[in-house]
Amino acid sequence: MIEGARWRRWVFFYVPLSGFIVALLFPFYWMAVTTVRPDRELYRPWMAPNYTPFWTLHPTLDHIRDLLTGTLFSTWMLNTLFISITATLISLFCGLLAGYALSRLKFPFAGSLGTLIFVTYLVPQTLLFIPLADIIRNFHLGDSPWSLILTYPTFLIPFCTWLLMGYFKAIPKELEECARIDGATRWKAMVYIIFPIAVPGILSAGIFAFTLSWNEFIYALVFLSSPDEKTVPVGVTSELIRGDVFFWGELMAGALFGSIPVAMIYSFFVEYYVAGLTGSVKG
Amino acid sequence: MARIGRRKLFKLTGAGALAARTGGIAAILAAGRAPAYAQGVGVHWLRWNDFIPASDVLLKNEIAPAAEKALGFKLNIEMINGNDLQARTTAAIQSGSGPDVICGLNNWPQLYAESVVDVSDLAEELGKAQGGFYEESKVVANDGKKWIAVPWCVLGAMVVYRKSWFDEIGVTKFPETWEQYREAGKKLKAKGRPLGQTLGHTFGDAPTFTYPYLWSWGGKEVEADGKTVVLDSKAAVDSVKFMTGFWKDAHDEGGLAWDDTSNNRAFLSGTISATLNGASIYLLAKIKPDTYQTEKGTPMFEDMLHSPLPRGPAGQFGYHLPMSNMLMGYSKNQKAAREFLRWITSKEVYQKWFDSQQGYSVGATTVWESDPLWKKDPIMLPFRAAARAGRFPGFAGPADRKAAEGLSKYLITDMYAKAVQGMPAEDAVKWAHEEFVKIHAA
Amino acid sequence: MAVSYSLAQRRPYAGAPRRGPVTRLLEDERWLAAALLLPTLVLLALFIAYPFVKGIELSVTDAKVGVPGNFVGLDNFRALANDSIFRVAVWNTFVYTAVTTVLKLALGLWLALLLNRHFRGKALTRAFVLLPFIIPTVLSTFAWKWMFDPTFSVINWTLFRLGLITGRINWLSDPTLAMVSVIIVNVWRGVPFYAISLLAGLQTISPELQEAAAIDGARPWQRFRYVTWPLLLPVTMVVVLFSVIQTFADFQLVYVLTGGGPANATQLFATYAYQIGVGTGLLSQGAAVSLAMFPVLLLVVIVQLLYIRRVETH
Repeated sequence: MIEGARWRRWVFFYVPLSGFIVALLFPFYWMAVTTVRPDRELYRPWMAPNYTPFWTLHPTLDHIRDLLTGTLFSTWMLNTLFISITATLISLFCGLLAGYALSRLKFPFAGSLGTLIFVTYLVPQTLLFIPLADIIRNFHLGDSPWSLILTYPTFLIPFCTWLLMGYFKAIPKELEECARIDGATRWKAMVYIIFPIAVPGILSAGIFAFTLSWNEFIYALVFLSSPDEKTVPVGVTSELIRGDVFFWGELMAGALFGSIPVAMIYSFFVEYYVAGLTGSVKG
Repeated sequence: MARIGRRKLFKLTGAGALAARTGGIAAILAAGRAPAYAQGVGVHWLRWNDFIPASDVLLKNEIAPAAEKALGFKLNIEMINGNDLQARTTAAIQSGSGPDVICGLNNWPQLYAESVVDVSDLAEELGKAQGGFYEESKVVANDGKKWIAVPWCVLGAMVVYRKSWFDEIGVTKFPETWEQYREAGKKLKAKGRPLGQTLGHTFGDAPTFTYPYLWSWGGKEVEADGKTVVLDSKAAVDSVKFMTGFWKDAHDEGGLAWDDTSNNRAFLSGTISATLNGASIYLLAKIKPDTYQTEKGTPMFEDMLHSPLPRGPAGQFGYHLPMSNMLMGYSKNQKAAREFLRWITSKEVYQKWFDSQQGYSVGATTVWESDPLWKKDPIMLPFRAAARAGRFPGFAGPADRKAAEGLSKYLITDMYAKAVQGMPAEDAVKWAHEEFVKIHAA
Repeated sequence: MAVSYSLAQRRPYAGAPRRGPVTRLLEDERWLAAALLLPTLVLLALFIAYPFVKGIELSVTDAKVGVPGNFVGLDNFRALANDSIFRVAVWNTFVYTAVTTVLKLALGLWLALLLNRHFRGKALTRAFVLLPFIIPTVLSTFAWKWMFDPTFSVINWTLFRLGLITGRINWLSDPTLAMVSVIIVNVWRGVPFYAISLLAGLQTISPELQEAAAIDGARPWQRFRYVTWPLLLPVTMVVVLFSVIQTFADFQLVYVLTGGGPANATQLFATYAYQIGVGTGLLSQGAAVSLAMFPVLLLVVIVQLLYIRRVETH
């Protein structure tokens, strides 16, 4: 806590924190107001005397209803969830093993392999998506959630690996050695001794990976075609932007519904998340 | 619970057994074959999602089932945001799999000429049956020797303006020349009702304004040979000079980076008096008269009129977005896709879609000018034959890949945008000219 | 956790004596490492290495969509050196990355320091502050687009009502302001990521260190400068590293907000690559633009990685 007079606490803590919260969350408030704003109020210019940006006197649930009944929003949510969770699990699995190997085992080229994995993160998606479409076709994955589940790890694994590497480095070598003296194999020492300790790190990597999959747009746009296979970002933009008309209310409702639930889940995990990242940076 | 479950199960299995007994092997075979057949020969049609939701509903709920009935295979219609169509098309072509038919905007058939199938038979049959294609539809879908796409429609672009506001400043007839338009705009802007126009990176409203504007002054990208760049001309410099004054005098200066949707919103909110657009502003206001009203509280659509862009020293032009259906070369359902294209462009089927558009799109063929639709709403009448005055970017050369490159790099639009932002007219023209030279040198 | 610990203690004893050939092989560190790295390498090789090589291949041909093209050497890159829009895009990308990174770091650090305190509703605040990072970029950018819209801007309204401006600000129309707008949205999106990551770093720093410094009479700023910051540096480097890469290749945000306009004032590497490769169908040139950013990124990354190594070995 900031010591000293009360005003200091206000100036150095409450005011800046509130400032941050307002700046970061205002767009969400804006989306919420827009969601319940009736259409006839939407197109009021800001100079108009009856422009009421921060509230509406005639809230309506029409847009939410349209979103939920008029589009396949709930299907998109489920698709996105399934794809994000599976892609995250795959990336965690790979990242966990690779991170362990790169940080705790001695073998030739360990350093350069680590860099190599990192470098793949640099390859821009705008370059990749066209040749990738080719591979997806060859594997007959087009229009299947697996096209995303298998491609998302390409940008998730490097991050997971590096995050977990840092975490593993922080765990003392003696732990494994003790287990091995007691007769455990290397494999078992890894699975039963090291991994459980790394749980917060795994969680934080998982949350990060999940967020990135949740956000992804280009691959989801290009690889999926059936309306009931789409993900939230692609589904919402392709259904609610028509020619030169935006369906603002529904669009904003989609944005809110597509992010607030995730934030709720995160609020349960955030302490783990913070603790997890902590581990990774000790290294 | 358990008992209900069991009973249900029993019922279900009983029904299954019954069906098997009565329907026999034939029923099972039919049930088993139909989906497989539909999957194998079905046609996948990718297009943009229409501004008019009713049209999409019609396609999905009526046309698709009708197609299945008439043609015997499943029609799968996919609609996505127009901005994202090209990413899908590119990936489909490069990977050699994807939609069988893609409804492309602009001159995409020329961009993807190597990846589409010759559809001359279909297009010529259609043109003959329906009074011939508009020039604009033809130049984008025909490579000079054969048809590389079947023209689908043209999205008319017209100036939509507020009648009462123009009346108030004493302009009862829409200005015929740029000078008159500027004068009118000046007066309107003084009253806080400027003209609205985007010079941003949009595929619709910016180029459909800047290209015809350039042509009307006599400027053009290239000569008819399609190689000699002649943009840097007195006509072009004059047009740019006029534009900078015109912009300051008459336009909403916030519009420089508007997207295709911004002017719709600005117009419907009553902050601009006129803007070049498709019929979407008018039609939306007409569908929701209670939502979009004038400052006097009357429905706004009653106070709107449409007009072509004004005339310049070299004439009066328009650029209306053409759309055409490309039959993709990688498609394994060539025969079915052809049947589909013939069927969907036939008078009876197309009629249904055309009606649902209410004039937002006009047909690619001239026969639709005499459709009874145009008698319904006089406000929409200017769109009827709009496509006749249409030209396509790349003029005076062909609407080829180079034209598309200039278009997609927004060179003409940016030439004006740069000048409006303060670059001397000569420099802006020179910059665009040099960029075109690079394109044509490659 | 408790369960897994007890498992960990029990299992090794039970299974110790018998070992199969595979287990024995895995006792060798090199074999174990190979086995552990296999899934990652297979996935990356399949889905990155191959397309990447394809991309390089494209960039040295004159391929267009649907046309394989011929080998043209470095012509595409030479053309880029001569391309005025490309030069603008390069400059913009650097400005964009540099400014946003500095802002995100400064603000993120500040926010992390604030969140590192104890206050009521801490967990909830920490989770909800992450929202800008969670929401799909495309959708949040649409919301921003509307907040910047010259006709409807709630930002203008607020500033006007506060008496800070007399006319409107044309956020996206003015070349400089358009860049500013894009930067604002990027910073808004990135600050939570920095803040939460740095917060994690802050929590590793033992409070005793701070207290000791305080007893020695260090002012808060000095304590930050000489105690907190050096300990926070490693995590900061990793976060900056990942963020720079993401920002440098940013696409969605600009694509939705301005499309690179007005007059290329916000054109970036990735948007220009997309415009040429997809919009114009000149795949080879699009690939060349994309690849042109690779060496730059590589350089940035190598410098940062070396720096991280040095910090680590200290």
